[in-house]
Amino acid sequence: MANLKEWIPLMLQGCGLTVKLFFIVIVLSLPLGLILTFLYTGKSYVIRKIVGFYILIMRGTPLLLQIFFIYFGLPFVPKIGPMLTINDRFTAGCLAYVLNYAAYFAEIFRGGLLSVDKGQYEAAKVLGMTETQTTFKIILPQMIRISLPAVSNEAIILVKDTALITTIGLADLLKVTNNIVNRTTNITAFIVAGCFYLVMSYFLTLAFKHLEKRYAF
Amino acid sequence: MKMIEVKNIRKSFGDLEVLKDVSFDVEQGDVVAILGPSGSGKSTMLRSLIELEKVDRGEIKIEGETLCTNGVYAPKRKKRAILNKMGMVFQHFNLFPHMNIRDNLMCACLCSKQGTKKELEKLAEELLAKVELSDKIDAMPAQLSGGQKQRVAIARALMRKPDIMLFDEPTSALDPELTKEVLNVIKQLSREKMTMLIVTHEIGFAVEAANKIIFLDGGYVAASGTPDEVVNNSGNERIMSFLDKVM
Ligand SMILES: Nc1ncnc2c1ncn2[C@@H]1O[C@H](COP(=O)(O)OP(=O)(O)O)[C@@H](O)[C@H]1O
Ligand SMILES: [Mg+2]
Repeated sequence: MANLKEWIPLMLQGCGLTVKLFFIVIVLSLPLGLILTFLYTGKSYVIRKIVGFYILIMRGTPLLLQIFFIYFGLPFVPKIGPMLTINDRFTAGCLAYVLNYAAYFAEIFRGGLLSVDKGQYEAAKVLGMTETQTTFKIILPQMIRISLPAVSNEAIILVKDTALITTIGLADLLKVTNNIVNRTTNITAFIVAGCFYLVMSYFLTLAFKHLEKRYAF
Repeated sequence: MKMIEVKNIRKSFGDLEVLKDVSFDVEQGDVVAILGPSGSGKSTMLRSLIELEKVDRGEIKIEGETLCTNGVYAPKRKKRAILNKMGMVFQHFNLFPHMNIRDNLMCACLCSKQGTKKELEKLAEELLAKVELSDKIDAMPAQLSGGQKQRVAIARALMRKPDIMLFDEPTSALDPELTKEVLNVIKQLSREKMTMLIVTHEIGFAVEAANKIIFLDGGYVAASGTPDEVVNNSGNERIMSFLDKVM
């Protein structure tokens, strides 16, 4: 307990990395998920099949395996391994999370897209709107609004999933905490870390609740 | 002047032939009520006029311009110009739920640069006044009653300044006490000589407001003419039994 002053700053640093990872992944995977949704529901049969396969792989295998695959596995790919190697742990980690979460978000958005009433397309058409105008002004806003609760849920899972990055040796909140506990032989740090995660999830929930209210219809 | 000419159109959904051979003309200022049993193809026929359904055979002309002949549609630009002459109102209103009433009215017009924002705003206010909903301009669709939603939908269609209005059961989703306010708006349009096609089960309204009735049955026009000819003096048994049911 005496060294609280010493290890709290360390934990905050770990938090910083966790938060940074969270935001990078959210900011990149949401738009990527959106693009995947439109490819997945688009006109090209081949692209639909490819995206379907991609989503199957990403959702059907452990995120931890994907992280290992990208950081440890890619260098061992025969012949082109060296070209695929990502030396920076953080970059490799981010990539794995983004690819994985984009697949989940794509499925969430697809659900949202399916629940937009077909009368909306018809109304837009008889009002003379083009397909592009209809997509961006009419369909997309409704689809995103419908998807918000599920996106919120997924984002909270991400807060906790960030802890997996510990496994490739990055000093995130969990890693730092674990080191402190080992050093001090005292579990207080675990409890403090738990509170940190809880606070992050809590504020995220609030933020999404606010968005849901703001865009209610 | 002939506003709509429909010649021998046919339309199938897979194996189901819904329109078998439908022909009729609509003159400028006509108010045409389309009657018929459920599933007789009324909606399909109306939706074909505005290309929500593609017909397989036959010809559709709008204001003398050919929309399609035997499944071949006019090129994109021309088609767009033809379709722009018509507005449509749906049974379930189909307002855009994420926009307030003002934006519901203005959205499509802004997209197609039909006018400046100021002009369109003025037009929206005028049309809302016409359907007696001026106070709802900032409301969201979810805050309106069914009758109010449908009146907004009519105003929204009028924003495009159509020459022809198509209504597909505009009052079927409404509580009986709310149908009147919608029918009154339609009657007002008819006094202004708007050309209209209305699919409806309100026989009383059809007889009173329409100058022409088309009775569809089994994919054919079973009868057409003035309300008097079709409703009162038709010897057609199917029509009689249909009228018995709905009156
Ligand atoms: N998109 C569609 N796909 C398949 N069948 C349809 C479709 N739309 C309508 N139908 C069928 O066509 C027939 C006529 O439908 P509709 O034009 O809606 O009739 P009405 O409006 O007169 O009740 C019905 O049997 C209906 O089930
Ligand atoms: Mg119908």
